[in-house]
Amino acid sequence: MNTHQPVNIIMVEDDEGHARLIEKNIRRAGISNTIHHFRDGTSALEYLHEAPDGPAHNGPALILLDLNLPDMSGADVLGRIKAADNPLRRTPIVVLTTTDDKIEIQRCYDLGCNVYITKPVNYESFADAIRQLGLFLSVIQVPDLPEANG
Amino acid sequence: MMARSRSAKAAKAPVSRSCCDGVRSFEIAHNAGIQLKVRLSLKTATVPDTWFNRLVIGAVALGFLALLATGLTAYHLVQENQFHSSRVNHTFQVERAITDFLATMERAEAGRRGYLLTGVAAHAETFYDARKHLFPLLTRIRDLTRDNPREQASVARLIALTRSDLPFMEQSVALVRSGRRDEGVRLFRNSVGRRAITVLRAQAAVMIDEENRLLAIRDAATAGSIRLFYATVAAAGTILVLVGAGSIWVILGYTRSLAASRDALRRLNADLEGAVRERTTELQRANDEIQRFAYIVSHDMRSPLVNVMGFTSELETAARKLRAMMDRVDQKAPGLIDKDARSAANEDLPEAIRFIRTSTEKMDRLINAILRLSREGRRRIAPETLDMNAMFLSVADTHRHQLDMKEIDFSVVSRLPTIISDRLAIEQILGNLVENAIKYMSPGRRGRIEIRGRIENQRAIFEIADNGRGIDCKDHERIFDLFRRSGVQDQPGEGIGLAHTRALAYRLGGTISVDSELGRGATFRINLPVTCPAEQEA
Repeated sequence: MNTHQPVNIIMVEDDEGHARLIEKNIRRAGISNTIHHFRDGTSALEYLHEAPDGPAHNGPALILLDLNLPDMSGADVLGRIKAADNPLRRTPIVVLTTTDDKIEIQRCYDLGCNVYITKPVNYESFADAIRQLGLFLSVIQVPDLPEANG
Repeated sequence: MMARSRSAKAAKAPVSRSCCDGVRSFEIAHNAGIQLKVRLSLKTATVPDTWFNRLVIGAVALGFLALLATGLTAYHLVQENQFHSSRVNHTFQVERAITDFLATMERAEAGRRGYLLTGVAAHAETFYDARKHLFPLLTRIRDLTRDNPREQASVARLIALTRSDLPFMEQSVALVRSGRRDEGVRLFRNSVGRRAITVLRAQAAVMIDEENRLLAIRDAATAGSIRLFYATVAAAGTILVLVGAGSIWVILGYTRSLAASRDALRRLNADLEGAVRERTTELQRANDEIQRFAYIVSHDMRSPLVNVMGFTSELETAARKLRAMMDRVDQKAPGLIDKDARSAANEDLPEAIRFIRTSTEKMDRLINAILRLSREGRRRIAPETLDMNAMFLSVADTHRHQLDMKEIDFSVVSRLPTIISDRLAIEQILGNLVENAIKYMSPGRRGRIEIRGRIENQRAIFEIADNGRGIDCKDHERIFDLFRRSGVQDQPGEGIGLAHTRALAYRLGGTISVDSELGRGATFRINLPVTCPAEQEA
């Protein structure tokens, strides 16, 4: 019933350049979904939960999350969204960050992150990774949200 | 006490030596605990003062000297006593000889008188018999008293008297025998005979008195020497008791102070362990902080680098598009694009992009190196038994292709000791060193790499010696710094390998150093503990 509803991409990334590069490469992969960009965790969470056109009230979403945010750790954002009582807990989250520390990666998966991607410094691999993510996004089936159903 | 101070000195020696060796601060921090311990124990060991020690030794020596002196005195006194006894004995002999002489004289007189009275021949026999002994007895007295001039004078008088009186006595006896008894009796009545014996008695009495006087003197001397002997023995006994009591007192004192210092040491040791643990935790914390710092910094530096590289690529793509468009414009409207614009698009832009790219790539490698170092620092050390021969051979096998290509002789010269350490860290250390040796060979001569190993004072020492191009003396420390290299920069590399190697060696509780001369090859020396302690989880 919501299959025709477009999936919003919510990108939480404090680095303007990274955001731009990610967006460019997603577009290059042929993904034309709306991308909402937030530079910090607070505004992103507010949009996710409160905004009338946000995913809590309006349609499915996919979240791209950086771990290094100015106001809070990306892991905190991840933990909040994946909390048991959160209506958005089934929203897929792709953690996209520079950290390749094993412990950090494990922690993210433990918190419920769906995909963890390390931003490669080498641009070719970076673009590659994002484009593959784009391909992945084009086939991904985003779960229905209870509110959207109702 | 002596042994204790000696062992304390012995314990101090190596510590002070290791301080003077100019060991780096890392190792000093590493050894701080042990050093502290030694210093503390020394402090307790010097509690008894030196002057007191000397006093005690002096007193004991004095006591024994006194004992020796007493012994000698006693010996001397016994000798003296013996001498006195012999003198007393001599006196008695003299007295007895005098008494014998008197008795014989009396017997002769009695025999003469009996003969004069009775005319019985037996009395005459008695007289003659006694008379026969008189002079020998006198001679004996004279011999015995030869040492005493007074007695000699008395003896001379005694002899003279005997000589003057005896002829009268003999004459009276001879008269009786020849039947002229009356003449004999008359002769006897003549006072000479009687006087003789009386005078003789008196003279003998004088002599005996003299001997008694001597006896008294000698008795007194004997008694004196005996008294002295007893006094000496008493003194010796007193000294013995004093020395004994003193020794016991000193021993008790030492035992008490030993026990006290042992307790103090035990207490200090307990404190020390706490102090060492605290310090270790502090160092660990500082180390962790540095690791974290390196990690965060390198990560945060990566983030802008992603942008630089990303947008450089974007720029390149854009420039390529621009160039293509310029080409198209050129075809349609030649002359529209001026020389400057063309060279900007065709040369300046690609050149700038190329430089940005190589620089960022280099920066990325450096950041990765720091990251690797910091990650290595966080890795847990897992010691296991390592056959170093096998380790070196496996490292050589890894580089076999290069060794063969460059025709380098690789040999393990001596049987290498087996150590207990972290396999991965040791592999990396050996790999780095062997790789360096291969990398910096001298082009002119056939390469040679020799591995030696030995154990010295619980430390395993491995040497990787090559005959390559060598390292200038001034760079011997520098090459172990991060991003620093030495000599002609004709080989690829970032100056990370040796810094990493040294960090690993420190991590395993070891050190690494180099001996080299430019053009003469280099010998890298790894000094590792035979058993690397497993570390606690940070």
